[in-house]
Parts: sequence; structure tokens; C-alpha cells
Amino acid sequence: MHIPDGFLSTPVWAAMDAAALPAVAVAVRRAQRSFEDSRIPLLGVMGAFVFAAQMINFPVGVGTSSHLVGGALLAFTLGPAPACVVMAAILAIQSLVFQDGGMLALGANVFNMAIAGVFAGYLPYHWFGNGPWRRPAIFAGGALSVLVSAALALTELLLSHTPIPRAALGLSGVVFLVSAALEGAITLAVAQSLETIQPNFIRKPAARRYASVTLGAAAVLLAAVGVVFASTAPDGIEKITRVQAADPTTWLGKAEAGLAGVAIIYAVCLAIGRVVTRHRSA
Amino acid sequence: MHHVVLERWSRGASPLHRRDPRAKLFALAVFLVTLATARRNLVILAPLLFLLLAAGLLRARIPLGSALVRAGVVFTFTVPFAIISYLTGDPARASSMLLKSYLSALAVLLLVSTTPVPALLRGFEAVGAPRFLLMVAQFLYRYLFVISEEAQHMRKAALARGATARATLARHAKFQAAAGAVGALFARSYGRAEDIHRAMLARGFSGRFPAATPLRFARADAFFAALAAVAPVLARLAAERVA
Repeated sequence: MHIPDGFLSTPVWAAMDAAALPAVAVAVRRAQRSFEDSRIPLLGVMGAFVFAAQMINFPVGVGTSSHLVGGALLAFTLGPAPACVVMAAILAIQSLVFQDGGMLALGANVFNMAIAGVFAGYLPYHWFGNGPWRRPAIFAGGALSVLVSAALALTELLLSHTPIPRAALGLSGVVFLVSAALEGAITLAVAQSLETIQPNFIRKPAARRYASVTLGAAAVLLAAVGVVFASTAPDGIEKITRVQAADPTTWLGKAEAGLAGVAIIYAVCLAIGRVVTRHRSA
Repeated sequence: MHHVVLERWSRGASPLHRRDPRAKLFALAVFLVTLATARRNLVILAPLLFLLLAAGLLRARIPLGSALVRAGVVFTFTVPFAIISYLTGDPARASSMLLKSYLSALAVLLLVSTTPVPALLRGFEAVGAPRFLLMVAQFLYRYLFVISEEAQHMRKAALARGATARATLARHAKFQAAAGAVGALFARSYGRAEDIHRAMLARGFSGRFPAATPLRFARADAFFAALAAVAPVLARLAAERVA
């Protein structure tokens, strides 16, 4: 589910871009630490694998089929930060080349699927990936990654005042749960088939990964709180945004605010990038 | 397949193709923000912006009809929401969703059909996106079609072995077979990545791609960027003035 442009209100997409860009920068830095530059081909080809794996259909019942989404599987095989980078690259290519997901909404899509989805999916595996609960943990990781991504996407749409009637909301909740369970089942089945091919494809959870755990827990919390809050009281955000948006007749002010926001986000990211590169070369 | 068409389009030789990717990215950003923040008189603004994009497509000698159809993929997402909006008594929002999402997709399509993906990613790098991420994206794009073809071969082979014979396999077994196929695809991709890596190291890959031709921001690029940024803003000013 990739949100196109034209759905999210300006404060929402701008805020999500602002949240996603530094998060991706941090993930890139962590991924670079574990994968030296020359191993980049592996990450790119695994991204292509996720694309291609979506062509293989899993029969799930009355004439319907499902496919792998892949965020959690990548987190188990490559580690959470590289998986996040690969998913971000996938979303960027999908948005650019396949017009699947908007460019301004790219931040929202990256945040939902590449950041929150991947780290939330890694969370159960991190805690239970080594013991007798390994298989349920892999299942839960796949399910949680889809559930968190979908809940965040729904939250963003609700905050943008996309009209979604109660009935449709309930229905989409059911659909999310079913597709989450399917992703869990597919992730588990693929993980088991990988282990029969070569046991070390699936990494052992690393002992100390406080940052990943914190991020994952925060993503789950945000998704849970966000969807409840947005479906009951979207007007709270409306009030906050109205303060800065002022009068709708002064559109020029608004456009300027939007452009200024983009400029600020850009400057912040550039500054972070500078700091990161300086840190690396030092 | 999709990419073949887009690759052919993006390697054309029009003035639009020759512009610096940074100038085109800047123009796209202004266009998208102008459109996304528009609230009133979208019915007047949308045709103006559409004409702007159509002029760009024609100038770049992109087949207009197939470009318009291609950008229509957004409707698979937009139309259900638009119908709900319409039914809940908000036709203005429904039309705004349809127009904005379609025009945004068309604008992105105009960019990618006049800029080859490697040049585009270099443009992104020049405006500060992390190089590591862009290189991953570039490898992804390079091997996307290779791995996809491999997946299709596997599917064909599975069909040839009777994967569609309904009665022969229980659903559970089919599920397991699909999981095995994805696992095999994973292992093959991983192995291929290691081969690629070794081959690149053998050719002296140091972790970055040397640019064959350096990006050059000429006066024409500045002129184009200014023109392409002013046009949507003017269109919007005009649309808002009419009301």
C-alpha cells in the first residue's frame, strides 16, 4: 500500500518527510558500519530479490493469493539497518520508475514500511529469536511489520482528513489483520526453506542492539497510539495545524510555508549528512 | 515489459533530455509542492498544469497517449478512496484526490522518461542524498529485471512440472512449494550478488562509481529551471485570480 501524492495534507507529508530523512540517514550510517562500501551489490541485488519475489504467488484460499512483502525477512537475513536501507531504495525506485507511491509522500511511505515496518518486524526476533520461541518470533515479526506499516498509513490518511467511514475502517482493520497473518506465515515458511538451503542465511539476533530495539518499540507504540488517536480525534491535529496555516485565503503564505518547510528539511538533512561524513572520515 | 519502454524514452534526444538532472529535480519539486498545497479552483488549475506537462511530453517526443495511460496506475489506489469521498458527500475532495494524484504521477513520469535512472540518481546525489542509499538503488535497478526474469523462469518451470494441476496438491503443499521457490530465489540472488561483487573487485571497484561524464550545469539549465519553476506558480496565480 503505497500512498500517492494528493492524499496527505501538507503538514502530514512535510512532517513525514522530515521524520523519514534523518532516520534513513542514521540507518545508512549503521548499515555502512556493518557492510563496507564494496558490498553494496549485495544490498542492491537483495532489493531486486524482494521485487521479484512478489511475482511468486502463495495460494491462501478461495481463488486468492498473496505474496511476500519482505521487510521482516530482510531484517532477519541482512540485519535491521541494512534492511531499512534496502526497503528505502525499493520504495524510491517504485515511486520513481513505476509511479507506485508519490514523491512528496515518499517520506511517509519510507517511514511506514522501511523504518517502522522493518524495526517493528525485527523486535520479536530480537527478543525471542534464539530460544524455543524462535518460530513464533519469526511469524510475529512478519505480521508485526505489515500491521505497523498499515496502521501508520491509515493514521496518516485519517490525519489528512481522508474520509473513511466507520464501516470501511472496521473492514480495513480486518484486512490488515488477515494480511499481517499471511505475511507472518509466508515469512516463516520462507525462513524455514532458507534454513534448509543454508542455515546461516538467517542471522542470529545480535546481543546488544539497543537502538534497533528502541526504534522497533517506538514504531509499534506510535502505530498503536496513532491509529486509535486518529480514528477518534483527528481534530486535535487539525487544531494544531490550523494555528500555523492561518487563513486559507492567503494561499501564498501557505505555499511559502510549504516551500520553506521543504527548504528547512533539506538543510537539516544536508547538515546531518555533513556531520555523518565528517565523522566517518575522521 | 515496463522498463524497456521507459528506458527507450529516457534515452531520447530532445532539449528536455539534455537538461541537467538537478535542474529537472528542482522543477519537479516546485511543481509537486505547488500542486500539493493548492486548495481552491483546482478545476481551473488542473487543466493548466496538465497542458504544461503535456507540452513537456510532446517537446520530449514521448508518445503522449501511452504516457497518459501509464500515469493512470495511480488510479488503482485513488479511485476507491475517491468513490468513498464522493459517497460520503465530499465530491470536491474526490476530484481533488484524482486530479492531484494523477498530475503528480504524470510529472514524475515526465522526469523519468526524459532522464535515464543513473543520471537521475546522480542528480539526487548532487542535491545531498546519501551516496550509499543511491548506490543500493542503482544496483537494485540494474538487477531488478535480471532477478525478475529468473523468478519468471522459475514460475514457468514450476508450471511445466504441473504446479497448476489443482487436484494433485493440497493447498498446504502448494504454500510450501511457493515458500521453497522464494527461498531458492533468495539463495540464487545471494550467490549472484557475491559473484557480481567478486567480478567488480576484480575490475578494481573501490566502492564508488566513477562518473563517465561530469554533471555540468549550463546556462540553458538555469534558464530551464527558472522557466519550469515559474510556470506552475503562474498557472496557480492565474487560477486563483479567476475566482
